[in-house]
Amino acid sequence: MNKIHSLDRLRNFRQGIIDQRKKFAATMIICGGTGCQASRSKDVIEAIQNELASQGLTEKVHVRATGCHGFCEQGPILVIEPGNIFYCHLTPEDAQEIVSKTIQKNEIIERLQYKDPVSGNRILTEAEIPFYRAQNRLLLSMNRLVNPGDIEDYIAIGGYSALGKTLAELSPDAVIQEITAAGLRGRGGGGFPTGKKWTETRNADGDEKYVICNADEGDPGAYMDRCVLEGNPHLVIEGMMIGAWAVGAFKGYIYVRNEYPLAVKNTRIAIQQARDLGILGENIFGSSFSFDIEIARGGGAFVCGESTALMASIEGKVGEPRAKDVHTAVDGLWHKPTTLNNVETWANVPAIIHNGSAWFAAMGSKGSKGTKILALTGHIKNTGLVEVEMGTTLNSVVFDIGGGSSDGKAVKAVQTGGPSGGCLPVDKFHLPVDFDELYAAGSMIGSGGFVVMGQNTCMVDVAKYFLTFLQDESCGKCVPCRLGIDRMLEIVTDITEGRGKPEQLDLLEELGATTSETSLCGLGKTAANPALSTLRYFREEYEAHIHNKKCPAGMCQALITYQIDSETCTACGACMTACPYKAITGEKKQIPTIQLELCQKCGICRSECKFESIQVN
Amino acid sequence: MTEKVSVTIDGAIIRAPKGLSILDAALDHGICIPHLCRVPAISDLGACRLCIVEHIQNGRSKVTTSCTLVVKEGMVIHSNTEKIKRLRRNIAELLVAEAPNSRAVQDVAMRCGVKEVRYPFRNNNCILCGRCVRICTGRLGEKAIGFVGRGMDRRVVAPFDLKSKLCRECGWCSDLCPMTMTPCGGPMHKGQERLCTNCESKQTSLDQMTGYCVACYFGKGFQCERHPERFTGIEE
Repeated sequence: MNKIHSLDRLRNFRQGIIDQRKKFAATMIICGGTGCQASRSKDVIEAIQNELASQGLTEKVHVRATGCHGFCEQGPILVIEPGNIFYCHLTPEDAQEIVSKTIQKNEIIERLQYKDPVSGNRILTEAEIPFYRAQNRLLLSMNRLVNPGDIEDYIAIGGYSALGKTLAELSPDAVIQEITAAGLRGRGGGGFPTGKKWTETRNADGDEKYVICNADEGDPGAYMDRCVLEGNPHLVIEGMMIGAWAVGAFKGYIYVRNEYPLAVKNTRIAIQQARDLGILGENIFGSSFSFDIEIARGGGAFVCGESTALMASIEGKVGEPRAKDVHTAVDGLWHKPTTLNNVETWANVPAIIHNGSAWFAAMGSKGSKGTKILALTGHIKNTGLVEVEMGTTLNSVVFDIGGGSSDGKAVKAVQTGGPSGGCLPVDKFHLPVDFDELYAAGSMIGSGGFVVMGQNTCMVDVAKYFLTFLQDESCGKCVPCRLGIDRMLEIVTDITEGRGKPEQLDLLEELGATTSETSLCGLGKTAANPALSTLRYFREEYEAHIHNKKCPAGMCQALITYQIDSETCTACGACMTACPYKAITGEKKQIPTIQLELCQKCGICRSECKFESIQVN
Repeated sequence: MTEKVSVTIDGAIIRAPKGLSILDAALDHGICIPHLCRVPAISDLGACRLCIVEHIQNGRSKVTTSCTLVVKEGMVIHSNTEKIKRLRRNIAELLVAEAPNSRAVQDVAMRCGVKEVRYPFRNNNCILCGRCVRICTGRLGEKAIGFVGRGMDRRVVAPFDLKSKLCRECGWCSDLCPMTMTPCGGPMHKGQERLCTNCESKQTSLDQMTGYCVACYFGKGFQCERHPERFTGIEE
């Protein structure tokens, strides 16, 4: 392959790709992200390609296997251009019908169309789907446009032109000025102003500097970094290159979890393709700038998402954080000045350079600019990755995009920001997605996990879940984090198992505050948030567990008993057959009884009962 | 002569050589900041968090450990505010609940004002201060012992749980271990753990304790090494 030595060559190369693709009358965009691959999208892609070949359409229809579109729940997803026709829940068997009907004759196959769970209507185009309509998909929309394994796709949509502009027209200081003026803040959770971080590294002493992309995403339920890196690795690479030019680095690392095999694979391919074209390497685009990227794979420790632990891990040491009294921007990887940013932060950089800081700063709220990708999961109708403008209210995210509660009952709370974040009750849903506002309310955007919780979620149990996760993931180096989380978990476990005492709530609060104030790294500093925020907004639930020995949501096994409601029970006997412990006994056609000493409270009878006669007390 | 910088610790302006930690500078000038995992002249870990101080920067206070904070011209530090005392007491309470069978830990808890322990005692024989690991790797240049495991599974062992060939049997690790000194009343058995308050009677004013150095005798070696009978390592 010919190397691209100058900007003119890049422009010609792009024009060449565009001209070459004019022959295609239609494009079939199929999601090949991890979520859709789990529902056999690879087979679907193969079936469609075979079908196109057998109908002689290979030269007329372009098939593009892309990264995640975000609406993983509906996968595998197909979008047909032109027309923006949206098909979901595909199987390989559908390929023949799609090609012969929709591609050949422009007929719509109703059965494959998206059915809106709120209104029940079939929807034809992607743009009309409420889930997509309420979003502002700055980064995610690019995923549909590129095949992550093909650098030509990325160059065809204008990729690497922001890098070209940077190298040709902008001095490092000018780049930093643009990023600062744009108001970009770190998307990994902390919300540290990116421009400020870059300035620190730029001004730090030393010729050897590094940039790192943090793709060690470990929050339960969050996968936005994975999707960006899997679906559009060149965007991240371009962002890192612009950052490297600005801070004066010549080497970059992408630290990605080994549990993300597709992200590792796609990034590796992307780096190789960029090297082959001379986009990574010496004297990029004929300038004085040289840069290369290496992949460092993480071993799956949550704490390695913390910057100093991540750097220790790259250095080959145990992934443990160290004191950060001097910022890593000055004393980072191998004690050299290092700029570390999250995947999403890097991915925002090319567009800022391309469109200017004013364009970016016009989006968002007062303190938080641009958009944020959120992983919307939980008891909600539409789940998946959503990208919203900063400042969008939680109401809008949960109800307009998410479609509200999945079981028709009211939503109880939303847990934002993963294990470091907190739970916000429905009466806080007027709050915007904004770094400072959510922080003030006791939660945070964090990496962007949004877990919606329905009425039968016990908030003490939620706190216990996250504390268990954090206790397991704490590195154990410092006392407040190792012992503080463990003791908090001990208290919460006592409460859920009916041993709670009233004074333990104050102790929990005090211990939480101590852990947040004195822990060594970000993991410990935020570890108390799930417990503290649930205690702040759902104190009455904690009190019910302690004073009445009852779990209002019916989740804590030690505090509940199952009963059969004799009024609604039809004596069908389904529960008796279902019970694996033979704890439900009774004569035929008579209302059975639950033997409490045998009952293991597994809840199988409750889910088997068609008349909702099994009640929890 | 090394360059010196001025820092303000608890209102006192101190001239300290560049590169020194706030904890060392404070101890040099008789300001006693409680500490446990620190070993003089060996790189600090910041594990026990007892030496926390408030660092005032741009009008905002940040809680950080003084052992890892290096002196810088014009730094303003408060080592004994109400907030710090409260946080330090809570940390010491966690520590003593974990390992009551150590005089050093009991003393430090008492000095930090722990009057009751609100958690069930655990009677572990290691608090993971890392003094042994750091003397072995940092001072002796060997790696006969190290940390393994994560979180609650973290422990100090020889590689692969076998006695390491690197071990010279110098004994520094056990000399520095805070768990080798039993409380004055003798070892506490399981179920009998309590907060040992023997030291309290020897102390005049508990509340003023951490404010300045009173050349205390408690937990020798694990507190202020400016003491006349200061910890001297192997000879002790």
